[in-house]
Amino acid sequence: MPVAPETIRQVREIDVDQYRYGFETKIETEKAPKGLSEDIVRYISRFKEEPEWMLQWRLKAYRRWLNMNEPRWARLRYPKISFQDYYYYAAPKNKDQKGPKSLAEVDSVLLETYEKLGIPLREQEILAGVHQQNEQGRVAVDAVFDSVSIITTFKEELARSNVIFCSISEAIREHPGLVKEYIGSVVPMTDNFYSTLNSAVFTDGSFVYIPKGVRCPMELSTYFRINERNTGQFERTLIIADEGAYVSYLEGCTAPQRDENQLHAAVVELVALKNAEIKYSTVQNWYPGDKEGKGGIYNFVTKRGDCRGENSRISWTQVETGSAITWKYPSCLLRGDYSCGEFYSIAVSNGYQQIDSGTKMIHLGKKTSSRIISKGISSGFSSNTYRGQVTVHRNAANARNFTRCDSLLIGHDCGAHTIPYVEAKNCTAQLEHEATTSRISEDQLFYVMQRGLPEEEAIALIVNGFVKEVIQKLPMEFAVEAQKLIGISLEGSIG
Amino acid sequence: MAILILLAKPSEEVLRVSVFKKKSLTQAETEIIENFSALEKRGRQIIAASKVAMAFFLKHGLPSRKMEDWHYTDLRTQLNRVAPYSSEADGRSVAPLIPDNIVLSTVNGKALSAPLVSPLCGASFTPLDTLTPDRKATLPQRLSAENMIAQLNTAFFHDGWKVDVFEDVSLDKIIEIQNIQNGAQSHVCFPVSAEKNSNVTVIERQIGDDQDSFLSSVSHLDLAEDARVLWIIIRRRGISSTELNQFNARLNKNACLKLYVMNIGLGLLRQEINIDLNGNHADFQLRSINLLSGKSHIDTTMTVRHLARATTSKEIMRNVVTDSACGVFQGAIRVARVAQKVNAQMVCNSLILSENAEFDAKPELEIFADDVTCGHGATVTSIDYDHLFYLMARGIPESQARSMLIKAFVSELVEELNRKEIEDLLQMNVEQWLQMHI
Repeated sequence: MPVAPETIRQVREIDVDQYRYGFETKIETEKAPKGLSEDIVRYISRFKEEPEWMLQWRLKAYRRWLNMNEPRWARLRYPKISFQDYYYYAAPKNKDQKGPKSLAEVDSVLLETYEKLGIPLREQEILAGVHQQNEQGRVAVDAVFDSVSIITTFKEELARSNVIFCSISEAIREHPGLVKEYIGSVVPMTDNFYSTLNSAVFTDGSFVYIPKGVRCPMELSTYFRINERNTGQFERTLIIADEGAYVSYLEGCTAPQRDENQLHAAVVELVALKNAEIKYSTVQNWYPGDKEGKGGIYNFVTKRGDCRGENSRISWTQVETGSAITWKYPSCLLRGDYSCGEFYSIAVSNGYQQIDSGTKMIHLGKKTSSRIISKGISSGFSSNTYRGQVTVHRNAANARNFTRCDSLLIGHDCGAHTIPYVEAKNCTAQLEHEATTSRISEDQLFYVMQRGLPEEEAIALIVNGFVKEVIQKLPMEFAVEAQKLIGISLEGSIG
Repeated sequence: MAILILLAKPSEEVLRVSVFKKKSLTQAETEIIENFSALEKRGRQIIAASKVAMAFFLKHGLPSRKMEDWHYTDLRTQLNRVAPYSSEADGRSVAPLIPDNIVLSTVNGKALSAPLVSPLCGASFTPLDTLTPDRKATLPQRLSAENMIAQLNTAFFHDGWKVDVFEDVSLDKIIEIQNIQNGAQSHVCFPVSAEKNSNVTVIERQIGDDQDSFLSSVSHLDLAEDARVLWIIIRRRGISSTELNQFNARLNKNACLKLYVMNIGLGLLRQEINIDLNGNHADFQLRSINLLSGKSHIDTTMTVRHLARATTSKEIMRNVVTDSACGVFQGAIRVARVAQKVNAQMVCNSLILSENAEFDAKPELEIFADDVTCGHGATVTSIDYDHLFYLMARGIPESQARSMLIKAFVSELVEELNRKEIEDLLQMNVEQWLQMHI
């Protein structure tokens, strides 16, 4: 079946040469010396006024990293990365390490940048309704520019609900107990090559703590911007939802257009305790490189959520349109009984982009459930791979998983690949990969067909309804593109 | 796996050792290398290709889980020792499954004398041992770092059968290849070619007793234009057997291959199925039934490459796993850029019946053509309690009800054969297994 023309048009609209966030902010920056060594690790730690334990943690990671090999199993082709050619710390100059107290102290150039990107930093205006947002639509933003957090909005209001929302550097200084307890507890320091590198040189990212029984009063978000030439951005985010808490968090990312490749290696850790729920959404729109495949961000990300308590729930939603290379597998460790993990993804690759992304659902507790919905669209000369793992361990009695991934090819020069790993070690597990016709509940199908729809349409209705319903939950403050993508039709899917 | 390391929380020490430890030879590797040098001492003529293959093995050793293709079957830890060559006299073939079959036997790696068939029957059967070294060297091989089975088989193989089915011949009799391995070690090869517009049915029986054994067996099948082959593999080996098996087929224009695999007894088995659909409209069908019990470990790794237009393939696997057995299915459908209008479907359904059983599936799609239909699915579940209840409510005892449901689950594939005499054979095997294990 041919691809719908509407889909082709929609994908064309976000082609690599249509990138709208490629401008550069002219601002003086302070950089660590080029390259990576123990001294650089110490430099970063000292610059951030970190306690000794944090420095030791970083150094341990660094020494371990020196003995690790770069993973090459992913379906990605790129020249060997020279880690000594990057700057590991870059921040706008004249900035007090502790950050500006209020918006008035933030450099106007930076404010302009964020305005251009459409990121609401002015609490007053938002409150006064300048942006026409209602109570429900308010978003607290942590703005990260290269290696530092510029400002975090709505801090006071959040503090009234005892919610902690700040940059990770600040958290290490102000809430060392919490950070010490949870950092590295989901993604261990030496988990993989890139997470170990991140553990050594991470600069900024967000820290969120939602106390017991609190429903976070507004959406939280972090906006990452890489501006400086030849820098690596090493974001570290840690979100903890204590018993019965709820939070919805959104991250967005963009970068200027440059001919050389920049590195982004993030680690995101989520911890959901008993009855807690975390919704984590990503709109990833790093610079994807130009038409010839020159430049673009190398995005190597380790994201993992730990459903530690009973009945906890973590959902990952991602819209991936940027980056030259994407290596990213947001995962859920379903440790608590009855916990639930979800992964919804739309990945669109254009130009010479390469995506190898997916998820891991590791079922450890009883009656845990997970759901994976992935849509991949590739066009141009790109390669788009879904790689997902579902593992049910011995003790995970009655675990359930449902996976559906569709991919679509536009043109003759791209590739779409699907690599699911299904591992069952428990006889009560129920794992289903791909909604083949027979896997849709016959009752549902019967119900719809009884109302006069032919079988094929009935199946489409059930499957699409299922996908759309969940994707529509995505908070869409940042990216207009993402909103357009929601409606994209996968008619003509190849498998 | 990083996550497993986290869960098990091993000490820093253990982690460090696993990272820094230099790869040393495992016992099995040492034995394989010693066996190879012993071959020459025993006066066997080693062809150049064998030496090249051994050089590959020396460089790469046994595969471990770090190799993506061998992730679920780590021979460095799972293959503890290699059964030695036996000095005993060769055994005898067994009675054919269907009396009329043309029997080609290899017993402990040695081809028995040629079957009594008229040279006018339309096919030729040659023991490999009788080929000149030059001709042996022309046997197809795909040496690479991951392809450990080809390395070993090419290095060690000595005997087997070469079968040619001539142009326009439709062989009424079934060719029955018996590969009997009672203890010890052997390496055999079966090159088969089906010429233009031929039609043939082959039953490959892999049989053996309960002694420690080590075997590599490679079949190469070439289907010329319009050739049609039905190939059935029935495997009943002992619990201490180790078998490395490879089935390679190349299909030309309009050729059609149906492969049925039934595994009922084995210790450790790695079965690789590599199919190249080279000609337009070539069609490949695979139906595979794995009944696993005890401590069996079976790894079916299949690659179907669609290299031409409008080629089709459909693979259905049904697995039943009980006791502490472990099943693995790694399937890959690869569609080349030129292969438009391809239709490829792959499905792997597994039933897990016991607490310690395990099944791992990786049904992979790699697609470079934009006008194709490809599907892949994998399910893993236990017996549906509602179904069981339905039968028991009608007075059927639980164990019998279970048997019925399992039988229905696998028999569906057998029934697709449409060859009564072979269907009966396979059904009988299923029933025997069910009686013993359910």
